[in-house]
Amino acid sequence: MFRSGKIKIKKELYERVKSFAEQAGYASVEEFIEHTLEKEISRTGGSDSEDETKKKLRGLGYIS
Amino acid sequence: MNRREFCKQSAFLIAGSLLGTKGFCSSLPSYTGKNNSKKVIVLGIDGMDPYLLKRFIDAGMMPHFQKLISTGGDFKEMQTTIPAQSPVAWASFSTSTNPGRNGIFDFIHRRPDTFELYLSTSRTYEPGGGKLRLGKWMFSLKSGELKNLVGEKPFWNYLTEAGIPAVIYRAPSNFPPFPGKAWQMSGMGTPDILGTYGTFSYYTDNPPENSGKVTGGKVYPTFPKNGIAENYLYGPANSFRLDEKQPFDEVDGEKHYNYEKLKIPFKVYIDQEHPVAKVVIQDKEIFLQQGEWSSWVEISFELIPHLKHLSGIVKFYLKEVRPHFKLYVSPININPANPALPLFNPPEYGEALVKDLGLFYTQGMAEDTKARTYNVFDDKEYWAQSQMVTADWFRAWRWHLDRFKEGFLFFYFSTLDLGQHMFWRYIDHVSPIHEQALKSGLKDPVETLYRQMDEALGIVSKKMDAQTTLIVISDHGFTGFRRCFNLNSWLLDNGYLSFLDPAQREKAEYFENVDWNKTRAYGLGINGLYLNLEDREFKGIVRADQEAGLLTELKRKLEMLVDPKTGEHPIKHAYIAKEVFKGRYVGTISPDIILGFRRAYRASWETILGGFPKDWFTDNLDPWSGDHCIDPTEVPATLVTTKKIKKSNPAIWDIGPTVLNEFGIKIPESLEGKPIF
Repeated sequence: MFRSGKIKIKKELYERVKSFAEQAGYASVEEFIEHTLEKEISRTGGSDSEDETKKKLRGLGYIS
Repeated sequence: MNRREFCKQSAFLIAGSLLGTKGFCSSLPSYTGKNNSKKVIVLGIDGMDPYLLKRFIDAGMMPHFQKLISTGGDFKEMQTTIPAQSPVAWASFSTSTNPGRNGIFDFIHRRPDTFELYLSTSRTYEPGGGKLRLGKWMFSLKSGELKNLVGEKPFWNYLTEAGIPAVIYRAPSNFPPFPGKAWQMSGMGTPDILGTYGTFSYYTDNPPENSGKVTGGKVYPTFPKNGIAENYLYGPANSFRLDEKQPFDEVDGEKHYNYEKLKIPFKVYIDQEHPVAKVVIQDKEIFLQQGEWSSWVEISFELIPHLKHLSGIVKFYLKEVRPHFKLYVSPININPANPALPLFNPPEYGEALVKDLGLFYTQGMAEDTKARTYNVFDDKEYWAQSQMVTADWFRAWRWHLDRFKEGFLFFYFSTLDLGQHMFWRYIDHVSPIHEQALKSGLKDPVETLYRQMDEALGIVSKKMDAQTTLIVISDHGFTGFRRCFNLNSWLLDNGYLSFLDPAQREKAEYFENVDWNKTRAYGLGINGLYLNLEDREFKGIVRADQEAGLLTELKRKLEMLVDPKTGEHPIKHAYIAKEVFKGRYVGTISPDIILGFRRAYRASWETILGGFPKDWFTDNLDPWSGDHCIDPTEVPATLVTTKKIKKSNPAIWDIGPTVLNEFGIKIPESLEGKPIF
């Protein structure tokens, strides 16, 4: 499916991706796809920041 | 609207919320269908202290315990784990292994190579596909990849593999539930919808002075206008939708995306004459009098419009209408009727519970101790909230006993443990806050909690037959928490730990001021001390040939340490991990030394996550006035059985092998415990 850096996808899927990208606030379909692929490859998209994690640990009753 | 009308509407809503829960009678797994098959029940009562239990039995307050013990039963103290922490002890119970093998040493662990901190019993691993962040955990549109970090197999899997049905209700350190055929609901360690141990929301026009310091909750200044208060109920970040105002930040040329925080607007209509109000959220209307709690309210966060939603449940508490507006909203529990994370294995277990019982608390530690600590609740309010939790457990207890026909049942009560944490000051006559507690108007909360556990025993006693063995256990005892020890401050002042900027001692948190290139040891978690080992820690400097000498030196100094105020040695044992644990997690995940405090002492609030107060010792003036995270010999667990206990010095890791033995199953050599009968 890859050719000269371009990706072919079915028109129906493209329309759905376009609609979702707009709803989700991305500037373009390309930006959304690029971001999604980066997330998949890096597999780090869902990690909490260090501060967030520590803040959540402090929710434990044993810690102030 | 007058009070009667409000009440009528409230009653209608409550009745409405119960619709759909009747007319369905679920059953538990039964392999033979016979009613006279062998049954073993383990009733887990977190924190039941054997000394208090004996005192209350002797006082005639515990008739069902008294009867069980005096009619062929038995009662002994039981060894618990090093340290005497619940996740550690219950993981040892589940797997019949020591922490060195099951990998659970504390509530909090760190990755040595990155110094990333995490809750010890579960972690999230990124799955493919779309995802929703639930704090530490992930909600995936395809499949979640949560991992239970207990590193050994639970003993109940040996039962199901042998064809014995097993039901495990809220065992701690079991989130997500272990794979296997046992019916399981997750317990301690189960997050709320934000991925935390519990985060309440407090909306008020009179925010307390300590608002900025509140942990385990968030205060939202909310000022009613013309009798209407408006705000949002906040959920987790929605990784499907970017933040509208600032969709990304650019750092060194790289885009870092910011996600929109899920939120649901709500309004509170305050009656101008009477102390009542109406909360309107989504399509729900909840009528509350001042001082009244709502029943569960289902809410739904929209992830993708018309496509994907995240479901949660909350309770509202209208603390005050006038002169100030004060509305507490519980942590958003994962909805058991539509769980976003795996609470049940198999899912049919959850469906059966919900159909018969309606909605219930799913958060691992549902009693809101943080709301009490930060004075959002007073003692009576905390009591009321924790009693709602207990009511859920009692309903579930009866449900299970009505359906349990054969095999193994584990059932867990949490409220005694957290109640003792919060109310020990009532029975601790030397507590610095004892007299203050007695003025609260709450009468004998600790005694009442023990009586309730006697009632729980009474319920099961009526269901017992000759084929049933009952084992009542706790994971540890309890004692007062009057003095705090600042381990990291001690390490700093004794030259084992260094600062980048000594002037910032009390301001810096989370080890952020530590000069790791000059630090040989640090304290993390409630009982852990770690060496900054070369080739293990992310900036380790202690060479392998220095390790043994440094451990011996620290152990000696810590055990000799004296609290100048009391003249006592606060640390009974500084256990060197390699001497007391065996297994693949020793020296990797494990601390290098476990501090075994004497009664009345515990790690300070600040030192656990890397704070450095000025003094080594301080008084504990927090309502959290009882504790058990100390030397296991100081707080043994409780063991009460319907049969005579033959094993001397029984331990919590003996219970699994005992259950297997009751069913005639050969005990695998990998289990470390022995049968007690």
